[in-house]
Amino acid sequence: MYSGPVGLVNQIHDFNVHIDSNDVFWMVRVPDSAVKVDFDQAQASLQVEGLNVFDDHDIANSLTFGLGLPTIPGVAPVRAQVSFDVEWNGALAEADIHNAGQSFQGSFFSTVTTINWSAEEDGFQFQSEPPNPATNLISVLGHEQNGVFFS
Amino acid sequence: MKKTNTHPTTRRVFLGAMAGAGTALGAGLLSPKLAHADPGNGHAQCTLAKPIPGGVAPFAPFAIFIHHNPLNPAVALASINDPSQITDFDGFVGLTHIRGTGTGTNPATGATQALNFQADMGFSQGRFIGIDGGQHEGTFAFV
Repeated sequence: MYSGPVGLVNQIHDFNVHIDSNDVFWMVRVPDSAVKVDFDQAQASLQVEGLNVFDDHDIANSLTFGLGLPTIPGVAPVRAQVSFDVEWNGALAEADIHNAGQSFQGSFFSTVTTINWSAEEDGFQFQSEPPNPATNLISVLGHEQNGVFFS
Repeated sequence: MKKTNTHPTTRRVFLGAMAGAGTALGAGLLSPKLAHADPGNGHAQCTLAKPIPGGVAPFAPFAIFIHHNPLNPAVALASINDPSQITDFDGFVGLTHIRGTGTGTNPATGATQALNFQADMGFSQGRFIGIDGGQHEGTFAFV
């Protein structure tokens, strides 16, 4: 979240679940019902309410565990909660990928995506604008196999 | 002498190195990373999954290597890197790189502020081979 144009120097909040002890990046288990997929229609949704996260202030502090960078002061994380509804809706392009170098394959759509989300922590609340498909930069929906499931 | 970092610094390696540095620099420096624990969502369950081998190091050499391939609007769909964060995985993956605006509020004063955001989020839902060698099924949010 940024107090001006999107960029590290303007970032004032960074909400994420942190990297788990096995180095999986920013993933948290959620109920199966949180995700709905209609792959043939290139549609999916991710809906979560009141997820406990950390606010690391900015991406640099998130990826240095609060130590910062030479140009970015260190900031300790604080606890927060976020709720979000992300909708992948409709194919803009489609591709089948078989990437032996990265050992993954699958069928993929680029889609329009919208998001409606909110955040809350001590002394701060945030509510995003209504879902706006014009703000989508790039989104992907895929059905893939990687690692031992790659053939 | 110029030192080249030829090995990605993962979370565990980084924390180990910082723990050593903390011994010399003072415990105060360690407090932020000590807070990098389970935020209270049963996050430990995620440890069954394994990260993809690839990824990026956005602030090298100062920050960790992350096992994630950020979406790049300049890259054609057919040329994307593996969008999954979990390896040995078979299932659905969604990723989005999206921007927007919103309103921040100080609940104590009612003061509001127009803010911009960029969200990199997604999900994985399917089966995976865990660190225990067993096959599991699950749904994960990328937050």
